Amino acid sequence: MDPKLCAAAIVDGLKKAGIDFVATLPDEKMVEVIRAVEHDSALKHVPLCREEEGIGICAGAYLAGKKTALIMQNAGFLNSCNALTTTSLQFQIPTLLLIYYAGDIGDRGFTTLGSVTEPVLQALGIRSYILRKSDEIDDTLRGAQILAEDSKKPVAVLLTKSVLGVK
Amino acid sequence: MKRYDCLKAIAPHFGEELVVTNIGAVRHEWQALRPHPGNYHLQNLGLTSSMALGLALALPHRKVVAFDGDGSLLLNLGSLATIANQHPRNLIHIVFDNECYESSRGAPTATAGQADLAAIARGAGLANVMTAKTLAEFAEAFLRALKSNDLYFILVKVEAGAGDVPAAALDSQENKYLFVRYIEKSENLKILTATLSRASEPHAK
Repeated sequence: MDPKLCAAAIVDGLKKAGIDFVATLPDEKMVEVIRAVEHDSALKHVPLCREEEGIGICAGAYLAGKKTALIMQNAGFLNSCNALTTTSLQFQIPTLLLIYYAGDIGDRGFTTLGSVTEPVLQALGIRSYILRKSDEIDDTLRGAQILAEDSKKPVAVLLTKSVLGVK
Repeated sequence: MKRYDCLKAIAPHFGEELVVTNIGAVRHEWQALRPHPGNYHLQNLGLTSSMALGLALALPHRKVVAFDGDGSLLLNLGSLATIANQHPRNLIHIVFDNECYESSRGAPTATAGQADLAAIARGAGLANVMTAKTLAEFAEAFLRALKSNDLYFILVKVEAGAGDVPAAALDSQENKYLFVRYIEKSENLKILTATLSRASEPHAK
C-alpha cells in the first residue's frame, strides 16, 4: 500500500481512538505519518527536539484534558526511559506510544536496537502490541488507548514497515 | 538572594495560576508558601519546562508558571527550542540558577563555568528573556510577565541554599489526583476515566 494511504489510515485510527494531541520526532519510515498529523486540523501537533521532552509535554497535556500520543522511533523510546519511569509510571499517566520498530524481522540494520526494544518495554511494565496489517490499525489503536486510559499507564504500539507501506 | 526569598516575594500575587515545580527543595518551599491543588510537583530532573508546555498548550486561557532549575534545564535544553516554536502566550518559564546541583551536595553545573542560560534561551528563539540579579529585578520581571499576554523566560541568579520550611508530604498519586480534580472542576472537564465497578446492569424492577 502507498505510504500516504497508510499514514492516512494510521492518523484516522488515532482520531477514532480519541487522540487529539500528538508529539513527534521523525524517523525516515514515519515521515508520511508525521506529515499527516501536521496537516490534520483536529490534532494538535508538537514537533520535538528529543523524545524525552515529549513524555513531559504529553503528561502536562493529559493532566489538562487532552488524549495524547507520542510518535517516535525505538531509539527515541530508549531516549525516553527515565521520563517514562519518573513521570508517566510514577504518576500513572497514560500516553499512547507509537514506536517505529527499527531492527524488526526482515530489517537490514538496527538489529541491536530491535533486539532490546521489547525486553525494555517489558522491563518497564509497558504493554506493547505489534501492528503489521492495515486492517488491524483501528482496533489496535482504539484498544491500546482504552488500555492506556484504564490502566493509567503508557501503552506501546510498534509500527512495522508493512503497516507503514514502506520498504 | 536565595530562591526562597524570590518565591516569597511573588507568592502573594498568585491566584488560580497552574505551577509546575522541579524536583528538589523548590517544591517544599513553594508548597509551604502556596499550598494549592494547582501545584504539580515533578519527581524528575529535566521535564519541568516540558510539563509546563503541555499544560499551557492544553489550556491556553490559563497562566502556567514553571519553577525550573539550571541543572534541570541543562538536561533538557531542546525544550527551549520547542517552547519558542510553539510560543504559548500563557507560559512563564522561571529558572532559578544557583550554578549547582543543590540536591547533589552542590556539585557545580555548567552555569558555574561558561554557560549562560539566558543567551541559550535567546538563541533558541525566545523573545522575552530577562535576567534578574536582585529581588527587585525579579519581582518586576515576574509581575510584567504575569500581567502580559505573552511567553516569558526569566533567569534568576540565586545563591544556593534551601528555605527553612517543613518537608511537604508530597505523594505522587495524591498530587496527581488533587491536581486533575481541580482542573476538572475549574475547567468543567472530564479527565479521569473511571473503571466500571459494576459487573452487570441492575435488574429492572
